[in-house]
Amino acid sequence: MREVQITKDLVVRLLQVIEPRFDIEKVNKVVLNVGSGLGISEAVLRQWFASLTKGSKLENVAVEIVATEGQEISGKLVVSTAERVGVFLCECGPNLKEALDFPALIEAARLLDNVVLVKAFSLLCSGDGQQGLAEDIKTNQLTRVVIAGCSPREHEHTFKKVLKQAGINPYLLRIANIREQCAWIMSDKQQATDLAALMIKAAVRRVLVQEPLEEKEIDICPDVLVIGAGITGMSAALALAQKQRKVYLVEQLPCIGGKTVRYEESFPNMECAPCMLEPKMDAVLHNERIETLTCSDVQEVLGYFGNFEVKVKKRARGVDEPACIGCGACVEACPVELDNEFNENLSKRKAIYLPYPGVLPNVPVIDKAHCLRFQGKECSLCEAACAFGAVNYGQDDEVRELKVGAVIAATGFDLFDAAPLGNLGLGKIPDVYTSLAFERMMSASGPTEGKIVRRDGSVPRTIALVHCVGSRTAEHRDYCSGICCAYLAKFARLIHHKLPETQVLSIYSDLCFPGKKMQPFFEQLIRETNTHYLRVRNPNALQIGQTDGVLEIAGVDVEEQANCAGGTLRREKRLNVRADMVVLAPAMEGSRQAEPLSRLLDVPVDGARFFIEEHVKLSSFATARDGILVAGCAQSPQDVAGSVAQGVAAAGMVLSRLVPGEKIQLEPAVSVVDEKRCSGCKTCVDLCPYHAISYDGEKHVSVISGVLCRGCGICVAACPSGAIVGQHFRDEQICAEIQALLK
Amino acid sequence: MSEQFQPKVVAFLCNWCSYSGADAAGRAQRKVPAELVRIVRVMCTGRIDPQFVLEAFRQGADGVLILGCHPGDCHYKEGNYKMLKRHAILEQVLSDFGIEKQRYCLDWVSASEGEKFIRVAGEMIETVRALGPLRLPHTAESKETAV
Ligand SMILES: Cc1cc2nc3c(=O)[nH]c(=O)nc-3n(C[C@H](O)[C@H](O)[C@H](O)COP(=O)(O)OP(=O)(O)OC[C@H]3O[C@@H](n4cnc5c(N)ncnc54)[C@H](O)[C@@H]3O)c2cc1C
Ligand code: SF4
Ligand code: SF4
Ligand code: FES
Repeated sequence: MREVQITKDLVVRLLQVIEPRFDIEKVNKVVLNVGSGLGISEAVLRQWFASLTKGSKLENVAVEIVATEGQEISGKLVVSTAERVGVFLCECGPNLKEALDFPALIEAARLLDNVVLVKAFSLLCSGDGQQGLAEDIKTNQLTRVVIAGCSPREHEHTFKKVLKQAGINPYLLRIANIREQCAWIMSDKQQATDLAALMIKAAVRRVLVQEPLEEKEIDICPDVLVIGAGITGMSAALALAQKQRKVYLVEQLPCIGGKTVRYEESFPNMECAPCMLEPKMDAVLHNERIETLTCSDVQEVLGYFGNFEVKVKKRARGVDEPACIGCGACVEACPVELDNEFNENLSKRKAIYLPYPGVLPNVPVIDKAHCLRFQGKECSLCEAACAFGAVNYGQDDEVRELKVGAVIAATGFDLFDAAPLGNLGLGKIPDVYTSLAFERMMSASGPTEGKIVRRDGSVPRTIALVHCVGSRTAEHRDYCSGICCAYLAKFARLIHHKLPETQVLSIYSDLCFPGKKMQPFFEQLIRETNTHYLRVRNPNALQIGQTDGVLEIAGVDVEEQANCAGGTLRREKRLNVRADMVVLAPAMEGSRQAEPLSRLLDVPVDGARFFIEEHVKLSSFATARDGILVAGCAQSPQDVAGSVAQGVAAAGMVLSRLVPGEKIQLEPAVSVVDEKRCSGCKTCVDLCPYHAISYDGEKHVSVISGVLCRGCGICVAACPSGAIVGQHFRDEQICAEIQALLK
Repeated sequence: MSEQFQPKVVAFLCNWCSYSGADAAGRAQRKVPAELVRIVRVMCTGRIDPQFVLEAFRQGADGVLILGCHPGDCHYKEGNYKMLKRHAILEQVLSDFGIEKQRYCLDWVSASEGEKFIRVAGEMIETVRALGPLRLPHTAESKETAV
């Protein structure tokens, strides 16, 4: 025998064979295939092996040396022979049987370590197939199962159930996807068969290092959080309470009812809006199952469908709700005056105030940013004025920790800010109003008690209504809000009613009156009132100016258009009209509070701040995050009817899916921290997209919540100490697969 | 030799988009022109430890492909951004090892992009075929002697 040169290269190759890079717990034996052409004696090899494995997990493992031809060294680790693996091939009817060489696959699988049974079924997912599988597992005392057939995304759950039934842990299953990702995607039968054999081998190697995992069930909480107390949120809350559910209705403002309650009348039936809303608001406030939290913001939402943990901050109102009778004596006494945002700044309010007459709950609120006392000055006039001792400066903000099973976001809309579009005059010319401001002006509870007047108190003879402000244009909002034509028609009707002599000019580029009521409403309006519709090319390009108190509106008309031989001939006419008052109908956008909320809820909003629904038609009220629903104008611009329907639909979805007493199964394939290895660096804590990792200050290690973790493995790959185990996707499992696919 | 070199490419696919994309390709009976990449399923590209890529090359892969959800579409929100960060480091490490950069590729395939899966996987195989078998510098000698 000649002397062997122990080259660096030989060492490297030997190391490749034996080095257990990852935790392999159950290595029984190492088999080394040593090319006799290398001329290494067995004794030398054993000596080498011993020196290389000293101190490692392989130190005392048995070594079998097999002499082969040539000059190669290769080898394998033999994992516990006690494991009995069954390999089941599914012919998938005629699908796979013809595309792959089954006898060859069966032959190849038989030769794999630990495989004690290989069997083909014609349709494994069928009832017969499942039964046969269960029987084979039992009679052959299999401990692990490999199924070669369709994608795990199709039937992994079916076969997991069979394993469970047959008495083995469902996580000791591996599926080789030899249908979608092999037979169906490859054109050559031989090549496909070779790949399938490789995939089966990889599945067998992997299943041998898989770990049993315990499936856990947890109770659900049937209570519900509804965010936003507009018509949508109130409708949802009432539907839930009807079915005995506890509802937390969180509203950022001091009052409930959303926008609608601040309108005078509502289309399509010109019904008094507050009269329509008040019974609902009363029902909400007096329902013992609905806890309404006004002046409140959601601060944290952790968890998942069935078990959310929510923090809500209730800002101190400064007035004790039970003691207050809503007489308003405190308001009278307050010396501070500022613009009232509830009247779109068209009137003044005090630092302690009721947003508008008839507001619910009928309890004043202290605006701490403007109250003299909270600015460090001496004042207790309101406290002194209250005969019931209800004013309470010392009231503290309160953080409520709530447990709920589902969340409905009903945060409504805000209007596109048209002030930066200088050409429309908003913010510059006093008698240019937004539609919401005009709603307040027309409302009996509003700044002018329902009188339509200019800032100087005079009655407008001509009012121009401008459609599509910021809408249907790539520059701002590319969509149509769908209801502005309808409410502008409502405005025209109301103007006619209040000021029969006043002329209305409705300046539009396209009209939209869908549904069963609005087109007739519009036609009647044209017939019966002094309303004129003027078509312009682009309402956003209008120039609105003012001379001597008269508003001048200039734009491009598109009325005259003719087709002639040479193409389209368009005679542009200039539009030039005058008015005493202009009302803009800006695009509806998602609430300005939707963005921060979207981060808390982990549900994205689109560019216009509308929450992105799960499916735009089939489940417009669900989101990609299970258990978080969205309804009303928080999802899309819509009218009251649509908002109510969606609110109730969301409530119905919760009622049907979140059933008291039912349990929810937890996914066991989550990540866990190995405390012994964790260095406490906290790298992982901020990485987890689900806030599932916290730091245990006493033990100085990170801890993963098995309930919050979703098993993505981001932390596993990032931990510098290798301390996090991604169960079911452990390093050694993935590496076993890589190795098998290549060797 | 008449036998064409058959490249071994390991492809790590995230479970949600790309693995489904590959399934969709199969379901539509779209065929890859020649060999297929060897697929390893992980839940998210964020799980891909650079070690896995190195391990694949060490075990004899001629190329490694990583496919995940499109940026912004990761099922776990940001796993693919995490992968993207590691990607730059990996490219550097691999080039330090003398592995041509075309042998390692990261791309995005959504659940409906069966067609794209076929294209990306096919191109990877052909790119690697053109490069020939990977010879890691420290194993080059052994491969020669083994022939
Ligand atoms: C000018 C105008 C006139 C209209 N007229 C009519 C009409 O005549 N008929 C008709 O059918 N429709 C009309 N609409 C449409 C109607 O206003 C909406 O369909 C309706 O308001 C939608 O109700 P909502 O509850 O979804 O939203 P909103 O009414 O906007 O209520 C949302 C509530 O959620 C609260 N909120 C928001 N964010 C948060 C947060 N983060 N935390 C806590 N609370 C929050 C808000 O303060 C608000 O109270 C009109 C719209 C406009 C702009
Ligand atoms: S990253 Fe790893 S070592 Fe650092 S705190 Fe998390 S688990 Fe511990
Ligand atoms: S596996 Fe993902 S979800 Fe689970 S703790 Fe780690 S980063 Fe969070
Ligand atoms: S789940 Fe596809 S990349 Fe994260």
